[in-house]
Amino acid sequence: MFRIDLKSRKAIYEQVVDNFKEMIISGILKPDEKVPSVRELAKELTINPNTIQKAYRELESRGYFYSVSGLGNFVAAPSDKQDNSARINELKDTLKTALNELMYLECPKEEIMEILKDTALMREGETER
Amino acid sequence: MIRVNNVTKSFDGFPALNGLSLHVKKGSIYGLVGVNGSGKTTIIKHLIGVYKQDEGEVLVSGEAIYDNVSVKEKTAYISDDLYFFGMYSLKGSALYYKKLYPNWNDERYAQMVHQFGLNEKVKLSKFSKGMQKQAAFILAMSSMPEVLILDEPIDGLDPLIRRLVIKYIVEDVAEREMTVLVSSHNLKEMEDLCDSIGIINKGKMLIERDLDDLKSDVHKIQVVFPEGEEAPLDGLEVLYREKRGSVELFIIRGEREKIENNFKKSRPIVFDLLPLTLEEIFVYETGGENDELKEILF
Repeated sequence: MFRIDLKSRKAIYEQVVDNFKEMIISGILKPDEKVPSVRELAKELTINPNTIQKAYRELESRGYFYSVSGLGNFVAAPSDKQDNSARINELKDTLKTALNELMYLECPKEEIMEILKDTALMREGETER
Repeated sequence: MIRVNNVTKSFDGFPALNGLSLHVKKGSIYGLVGVNGSGKTTIIKHLIGVYKQDEGEVLVSGEAIYDNVSVKEKTAYISDDLYFFGMYSLKGSALYYKKLYPNWNDERYAQMVHQFGLNEKVKLSKFSKGMQKQAAFILAMSSMPEVLILDEPIDGLDPLIRRLVIKYIVEDVAEREMTVLVSSHNLKEMEDLCDSIGIINKGKMLIERDLDDLKSDVHKIQVVFPEGEEAPLDGLEVLYREKRGSVELFIIRGEREKIENNFKKSRPIVFDLLPLTLEEIFVYETGGENDELKEILF
């Protein structure tokens, strides 16, 4: 379930954060679901527990996790998420880069619009469920 | 857990340690890094109470460790040049360790011997170098230390055994907050394992920091500007720059966002911002003014 790439230049704690974010966004982890404890995950991935701890703190401060003392960490509901404007800008940039490349490769605009529609439809479907 | 304050040590007038300070938090995995002859092994021998400092303080678990049995009982050490009683088997050595270390754990020992697949009845002098390393590790970990000090520990181990060794270390850090200090030249491996790093040079601490902070503080930037456009460097701390054809390379200290915003103003054609690897930081910090050394790396 987890992918940690030790060859990547990206810090390991960032990779842990990204992995959890992905699993939450894609719905693999549901709101109020308990996540593994720092110790469990450290042992499972053979990664320094302090690194996992740091990732958990980050996830909590960004509103993806909430912790209950004595019980552990849980996935937060989306509405609890905090200010994401910086991340939104970052993602817009990524999208622009990808769009630029698509247009350079002469991918028809209609197909690009199709992707947008499909993704929106899929997400709506998920929230209705 | 480990506190070293302003320690000096000279051998026959040669100053090996020059006011060195070092701090390791409980439950941390600390990487000690330095070029050959920078004083790594010397400070480690102070941490295990083999050497006595000329000046300064060496505290382990809050106490001076030199000639202090109760602290040494909770400290395990694996040196880079292993030493065994040649006539002893692993089993015989285990009995000896059991007498020295009150927290010795028979169950852990049996489990590790089984997992590493060593024959405990063969004389240790008949073991290969890699097997001797494993034997030393089994003995150290079975003493259930509060502080584990490793001098060049993982060199000469095959990848499978290495994973097993790291698994045991991580487990003990997670389960009982063991504190670990590792010295190695394998910076890639240190980068994966450690949370704090101390870089020493000429018997002094050069930098001691949280590894992620250290890495997020310095960036490598590769950039290509449209013709006539200059790099906008106002207010940025440039540590190193170089031009290779149309590609410019910078090493800049500062916040990632600020650097990005600054550069994007000039509409670069190519803009790559990468965190430095520990190896790059190490060469940068210890290479000093040696530009040739830097050119090899960046």
